[in-house]
Amino acid sequence: MDKSGKKLISAARLTRYLVSGPPFIFLLLLFIAPSVIMVLASFRYPGEFGGLAPLAADPSTLHGITIETYQFFFSDFIYTEIFIKSILMSLATTFICLVMAYPLALLIALSPKQSRDLMVLLVILPFASNFLIRIYAWMIVLGPQSALNQLLNSMLHLFGIAPVQLLFSPFAVLVAMVYAHLPFMVLPLYTNLEKHDPYLLDAAQDLGANAWQRFWRVTFPLSLPGVFSGSALVFIPALGVFVIPEILGGTGDMLIGNLIKEQFLGTRDWPFGSTLSIMLTIAVLLIAWFTAKLGARRGRYV
Amino acid sequence: MWRGLLLLLFIGSAYAEDVLHLYNWNNYISDETVARFESQCACRVVQDYYSDNEEMLAKLAAGASGYDLIVPTGNAMESLIRQHALRPLDKSLLPNLKNIAPAYLDTAFDPGNRYSVPYAYTLTLIGYNSENIRELDLPIDSWAVIFEPRYLEKLKGRVTVLDSQRELLAAALKYLGYSANDVNEEHWKQARDLIIRAKPYWAAFNASSYIKELTVGNIWLVHGYSNDIFQADLDAQNAGRKFRILSSIPKEGAVLALDSMVLHNSGPRPDLAHRFINFMLDGGNSAELTNLIGSGNPNRDALQYIKPEIAQNPAVFPDLAQLARLEMLRDLDRHRRRVLSRIWNEIKLK
Repeated sequence: MDKSGKKLISAARLTRYLVSGPPFIFLLLLFIAPSVIMVLASFRYPGEFGGLAPLAADPSTLHGITIETYQFFFSDFIYTEIFIKSILMSLATTFICLVMAYPLALLIALSPKQSRDLMVLLVILPFASNFLIRIYAWMIVLGPQSALNQLLNSMLHLFGIAPVQLLFSPFAVLVAMVYAHLPFMVLPLYTNLEKHDPYLLDAAQDLGANAWQRFWRVTFPLSLPGVFSGSALVFIPALGVFVIPEILGGTGDMLIGNLIKEQFLGTRDWPFGSTLSIMLTIAVLLIAWFTAKLGARRGRYV
Repeated sequence: MWRGLLLLLFIGSAYAEDVLHLYNWNNYISDETVARFESQCACRVVQDYYSDNEEMLAKLAAGASGYDLIVPTGNAMESLIRQHALRPLDKSLLPNLKNIAPAYLDTAFDPGNRYSVPYAYTLTLIGYNSENIRELDLPIDSWAVIFEPRYLEKLKGRVTVLDSQRELLAAALKYLGYSANDVNEEHWKQARDLIIRAKPYWAAFNASSYIKELTVGNIWLVHGYSNDIFQADLDAQNAGRKFRILSSIPKEGAVLALDSMVLHNSGPRPDLAHRFINFMLDGGNSAELTNLIGSGNPNRDALQYIKPEIAQNPAVFPDLAQLARLEMLRDLDRHRRRVLSRIWNEIKLK
């Protein structure tokens, strides 16, 4: 190889490092390092005033390394119960988001090109106002004196059913979870659906497929990557939410996010909070791995 | 506009040498009081806010520094003292300390007041809607209305309790006849069962939005803080509602949370902090806070400046017999904190 060729290769390598460097450092500093700290913290004793107990101290006080937080987690089913409850809540959120977002994304993708940008803008417009304010707004929408709740109760009354309360209930939590995460489902679905080749549908129609078959046999399988990325974008953040149950939930609405937050604030038990976070990370990774497997198999089938 | 900003920056830097950093609760000092102190000492007061003790402790534990003055509640203060995070007071700089009523001095958290000067207090009690409760014939002078199903049946979905492990446990322990600071796990389990039995009748565990819910009339009865109930009453009157939000101290006793001014080690200006404490000990200045938010006032000299309707409210200024039934919460050790957290999760999931 001549000199200029070598130069070209080393320049390309340099570019590669320069381009991938900043995100790599970003992940290293802001994701990997904190995760390592969290793992280390989970093997310590809690400090008397919060924080961690010292590694070395006089023998009369708690110090050093332990697996007691893990023993505590597994010796008591109540924590697994909260995990299962949170995962079911996130699954429900993901499923409802998918069912609601798919027609919307399809509608945008099938619209004339010049109006699509405006419609996408409308989908992300709620982000212009603060998340907390939008959740507080649901308190008013769902409150006992709201038009919605009074209309619902007067209809229930006609059928002789006792009035219901919407606010401070699992229902209110689910509504706000879906509301908060819907755009994260619409956008990946839309980017996928937009790229579909319309001739495929024409070909399917020529071969005798009806409207439902054209959707179910052509459009939907092709959109699966969008479905999976949208579901991941909804499911994973939904699992960590703690603000929504705190504001809209009733007396029984507690998710993992609330449990972890409580360990670091009220209970001042950093090691157990770290253990819970690690368990959450492991659960998310397992579910992501399982979904990816499922996605790969479906991909081969298509 | 840019010129205005530059000017502001310039003014800011001109005063930069005399700044008092105050780390205080949200809405826990009147703007007039701050302005008066600023003109008196020719300095600037920079405030930072927290909404609960845990948040403040967590922020300090994470390394926040530079605060001259903090206003923690007793148990959080105890924890700060034992961490050696506070600076002892120089009482020769605080001649107004004589104004504080002896009942609020020399507490178990800080014997001899080496580090702390009482600022204000709140009670945790029962607040209720005067109109909706009147016809129901309920014993609103007892925690029974919060815990007994036979009363709660009339109030289903209209009651909120504080979303605080310690406060709710304390109310249940008090109702069962134990001390709010009881750490016997058997007693805690009785309290847990009492709470679980009453829970289906409560609308929510709530720490902040119950003020608004009381004001609009959605919630009729709460386990809440005295100044929040005062706020709800003010809001209801300003909105022209036909009802008042009243409060009552349960006869079984309740929690009193005394907030005190303390000097943090990291504060660069203990001299200004002492001046500020002495300034706040002046009856007129101290009364402004009570008139603003209806907080209890440990300052004997302040009483003459306090609006009569607040001064005569027994839920703000309890008499001696009631005072004897009030307890301040002590800090729990790490083992008991974990046990309590476990009980709390059980309560929430049941």
